[in-house]
Amino acid sequence: MPTIVTRNSSRKKETLFSLDLWAVIVALALALAVKSDILKNVPW
Amino acid sequence: MATTTVTLPAKSESAWRSPLISVVPGVLLLAAIGYAGKFLEHFLNASAKAHHWRFPNIEYVLWAILIGLAIGNTIGLPILFEAGVATYEFWLKLGIVLLGARFVLADVLKLGGISVVLVVIEITLSLALMTLLGRFFKLKPKLTSLLAIGSSVCGVSAIIAAKGAIDADDEDSSFAIAAILALGALSLFTFPAIAHSLHMNDVSYGLWAGLGVDNTAEATAAGALYSDAAGKVAVLAKTARNAMIGFVVLAYAIYWAGRGQAEAVSNKSVFLWRKFPKFILGFLLMSLLVSFHAFSKAQVTSLGNLSKWAFLLTFAGVGLRTNFRHMMKQGLRPFIVGALGEVLIACLTLGLVVTANRVWGV
Repeated sequence: MPTIVTRNSSRKKETLFSLDLWAVIVALALALAVKSDILKNVPW
Repeated sequence: MATTTVTLPAKSESAWRSPLISVVPGVLLLAAIGYAGKFLEHFLNASAKAHHWRFPNIEYVLWAILIGLAIGNTIGLPILFEAGVATYEFWLKLGIVLLGARFVLADVLKLGGISVVLVVIEITLSLALMTLLGRFFKLKPKLTSLLAIGSSVCGVSAIIAAKGAIDADDEDSSFAIAAILALGALSLFTFPAIAHSLHMNDVSYGLWAGLGVDNTAEATAAGALYSDAAGKVAVLAKTARNAMIGFVVLAYAIYWAGRGQAEAVSNKSVFLWRKFPKFILGFLLMSLLVSFHAFSKAQVTSLGNLSKWAFLLTFAGVGLRTNFRHMMKQGLRPFIVGALGEVLIACLTLGLVVTANRVWGV
């Protein structure tokens, strides 16, 4: 008998959207660090 | 054949609820794999040049994905790394917001406007096509809805958003997610190969990858596998597609509520706002700041490079979390419906992009 393992993702739905806001906050913090020359000439 | 379904708690929640320290090993693993991909690209190219070998230029994106795939599908991912690897979605969104700095608002409006037109056509045709295929193959109606939403809008996020709204089973969602992820993994290899054989330009290919590849991480990777410029356009087109998630999920929620099989939507505006991917606003804000010259040229380059580092972690995560054995266990029928639908959608979106190229010269 095959067993399907699923994950209850109802709480993931919550984190999925707060994750969006965290991404924006961290991106803005990085942009501020770049603007104020704390982060300078980031290499690639 | 009888089937048992075991429901486990959401895998990724630990990444955000437990102390920050629990994500460190996994994030370091993502960074190590991503950097190994970057190192391999440079090392092999330099060696090929020095020894006059004929060796194809394999981008760091593909190396990072392949190393992740090899680890995930052979030794597997030790539990110590799981929380950190689950953060790949955060790095993806961070990379997209930072990528906003590489677009002035005029570009966003021009390419984004074209993308929105193509996205509306793509979503309409994809929803109709997947619904027809689901009916033809006699899939469960809610599984058909989830596959249609996943393949027309934005993959896993859309399926998760729709699952609660249409009150679908965990089993159906897991089928749909597995099909979308498996097909996303295949598109990483097929899309660039087809585009190279058709000699597509960066913008056309980027639009095609953004419209045709379902999951945002895979669409970003498929774009970057072609070229840096194509990667940028793919993210923009995919972002335009992601913005539609609320409308499509709302339409399905109303449909299923009308049939008495889901909770009625009381406030449509609140529903739309809840489902709207907020990182898109961050992307637009970053583009707005660049358009008003808030950053110097060197600073824009730095922001673009930070975005690339964030994507590097994402690509490693794409490989690590793609487990072919788990996908095979999910059953063949939803996968066949998904695969058929995806092939048709890929042809359809290719046709749309070629037409856009002739009409708007993109």
